[in-house]
Amino acid sequence: MLRTNLTILLIVIGTLAVYTGVANMIPQVASEVPEETTIGADVTPDELAAIGEELYVGAGGCTACHGLGTRAPDLVGVSGTTCATRREGVGCKEYLYESLTEPGVFVIDGFQPIMPDMRRILSEAQIWALVAFLQNQGGEITVTAADIPPEGAGGAAAAAGGTGGTGGATSPGIDTAVTDPVELLRASTCLACHQLGEEGVALGPSFDEMAGRQEAEYIRRSILLPNADTAGGFEAVAGTMPMNFGDQLSAAQLEAIVRFLAGDR
Amino acid sequence: MLRAAAGAAGLLLLALEPGLAQEVMAEAPPYGDFPLVGARGAVWIAAQVHLMFAAFVLGVPMFAVVVEAIGIFGGDDRYDKLAKEFTRLLVVAYSATAIWGAILVFVLATLYPRFWAYLTTIFAPSMWVYAGLFFLESFTLYLYYYGWDRWKKGFSKQVHLGLGVALNVWGTIVMFIANSWLTFMMSPPGDLAADTAPQTVRLWSAIANATWMPINIHRLIANVVFGGAVVGAYAAYRFLASRTDEERAHYDWMGYVGNFIAIGALIVLPFAGYWLGREIYEFNQQMGITMMGGFMSWLWIIQAFLIGVLFLTGNYYLWVGMGRIPGAERFMPYIKWMLLVLVIGTIVWATPHTMIANRQEIAAMGGTHHPFLGVLGVMSAKNTAVNLMILTTFLSFLLYRRANKQPVVSWAKAGTMMQGAAFVLSAGIVLFYGIYGYFVTAIVRIGFSVYQVLAVLVCIFFVIGLDVFMMRGATSRGAIRWGQMPARSQYALFILAVTFTWLMGLMGFARSGIRQHWHVFEVIRDTSPQAFTPALGPAATMISICVLIFFALVGFIFWLGGLAEKPAASPVGVSASSEMDLRAGAEPAHYVRPEE
Repeated sequence: MLRTNLTILLIVIGTLAVYTGVANMIPQVASEVPEETTIGADVTPDELAAIGEELYVGAGGCTACHGLGTRAPDLVGVSGTTCATRREGVGCKEYLYESLTEPGVFVIDGFQPIMPDMRRILSEAQIWALVAFLQNQGGEITVTAADIPPEGAGGAAAAAGGTGGTGGATSPGIDTAVTDPVELLRASTCLACHQLGEEGVALGPSFDEMAGRQEAEYIRRSILLPNADTAGGFEAVAGTMPMNFGDQLSAAQLEAIVRFLAGDR
Repeated sequence: MLRAAAGAAGLLLLALEPGLAQEVMAEAPPYGDFPLVGARGAVWIAAQVHLMFAAFVLGVPMFAVVVEAIGIFGGDDRYDKLAKEFTRLLVVAYSATAIWGAILVFVLATLYPRFWAYLTTIFAPSMWVYAGLFFLESFTLYLYYYGWDRWKKGFSKQVHLGLGVALNVWGTIVMFIANSWLTFMMSPPGDLAADTAPQTVRLWSAIANATWMPINIHRLIANVVFGGAVVGAYAAYRFLASRTDEERAHYDWMGYVGNFIAIGALIVLPFAGYWLGREIYEFNQQMGITMMGGFMSWLWIIQAFLIGVLFLTGNYYLWVGMGRIPGAERFMPYIKWMLLVLVIGTIVWATPHTMIANRQEIAAMGGTHHPFLGVLGVMSAKNTAVNLMILTTFLSFLLYRRANKQPVVSWAKAGTMMQGAAFVLSAGIVLFYGIYGYFVTAIVRIGFSVYQVLAVLVCIFFVIGLDVFMMRGATSRGAIRWGQMPARSQYALFILAVTFTWLMGLMGFARSGIRQHWHVFEVIRDTSPQAFTPALGPAATMISICVLIFFALVGFIFWLGGLAEKPAASPVGVSASSEMDLRAGAEPAHYVRPEE
């Protein structure tokens, strides 16, 4: 029996050793914690771009999609040359910043709107560093220290550390003075995915067809909890609608949109 | 054991008073430290080992009660004895589950006091319910096991069966509650922000989060797989230690049943996994991408390798087992072809595709994907491979089941041809969509996997359904010579159990690791020194340590259990047939002495 026991022990340890060995032989990639970036007032464009590159391949998680050719556009070596012409009337710096902070506003043809709002992951300073890095990919860096808001001005990383209990970003709100539903739909970037008349993109259900067909309750839930229901025919893009509209809109603004979409126009 | 359970529950209750929790949040240091392995290592080991025992004590009752029901309604006492033996393992494993649960609470409360207070503030009521149900579950288990011989006949036996059902109900609710805590950390409600006061979070919205139900279903099935595998290893050990032919025959049968349960449930598990993956993507695309194509992408290659080992080892056990079945010789020539399909399937499944590569690596490959392996590494190829592996494993079971049977129905030949056609058609559909997938967009290709899965499931249900009717009244080509198995077949059961356990640890790392440096994803940041998520190598070392601890304790516990009661070997020479045979219609257990 001793021999049997030893054989069993050998098999168990041998099996574990094989699995552990194989897992240790493959490329080792850890997920590092994004470091808080302190960027001084005298930072040079090249320094900013260098910080941005570190974020691009590390904490930003950009390489999970960009550079693989299928999920998101290749950026390395090209983004600095294309950024100024992507959107008419929008400069390179502004376009790149918008792509990082409001990715739903403009989605390049052929790609799904899967890009997250980077403000949930990175600080404002880090986002500007990323912009500098992306401009540096074949273009000229125009980001300066003046673009970067003072420390503590917001962003997830700025709030992180020390407390063990905070860290999420608060979504920027929309001017509470705006109450016109169409203006709100524009300001909330809803038209980046929904069509309203001649405006918008038909990625999600059309707002024109919604009037009179959906109850206010359903529309309200769809805005606040976009994943609660999926409209028929739009299963492929389910889960892509941002879930932060509840934070961006005041109660009055939300109700104005709900009434408008429900047909009270 | 009672003391341990009471200790765990008592500690839970003490820690959960919301007012107290608030004070702790304000005053406690955010993190404690633990010697040698650090705070995270301590929590990792405690949680993982607790989870392994918990999976065992939740999985085994599910099939123990089914086996008991087969014994009652089929009138076959052997199944009743087998069910009781399963349950005996539960009784001894239960105390270990409670002890490790208490250790987990201790390490969380002392090493992560502030986050623990946050969680308890939100989930306090559910934790009270958990503790209450835990007691209920414990006492139901005692009644179920210790009342086995007392409530043996008539109506009282059915009441006893009802206790088994109740045991499963309590256990399932307990698991669902615990799952809500961990899935909340993974996929918190969308309206939760870092500055949301925990006492304002609605309990139900925290519980019913995006990944709660997919995890519940996935774990429910995985527990059965895991329970079956550990029971198989136990039976293998007892087989190897047997001193009599009767004992050997009994544990051979028990090992077979354990393997059947584990592999049978494993076939369903990937479908629950697809659902969970889909929900993760729907909750947060970035999280899904991190999981499948980000820093965890190599993890799935290891997973494919492990599942390949499971399929190969499970089939190997069956093929060796056919050596003790008269009439199985006629199927032996097919084995090499089935082996070929399984090996090729494993190789394709384990082919890397979307990996994080740096610029030098991309330049060396000549693109973001390897020119040849990139073609095999896509989901079209992988889905095709895994579906064909499932079909092949099912074919192994079918051949095993039919090995010593001679159908007597007039349409037997036509029926067999229909079964063959079902296999060919199913494999054809799987291959067709696998190839077609290369010519369509990703979003269309994803939909193809549903057709492939459906083709396999329909084939399995059709073939089994037909077989049950076809084998009614079938004559036997000879009794299965239970107990006449080479030792290597039993060692295969050990490899299965270790692999299942390791795979469970790996999947736990994947599920937990995709939160990255967040306690609660994108809400509560982990600011401890160990907030980073380790690479696969260190994670694998940790998983192996957990598996070793688990099996060392399991070995000790089962040895203790063996001291308490001598196993009840089933009668030798019984050859009664049962329509409700657990082994999906295989020739019922014939305990035949070797010389017969």
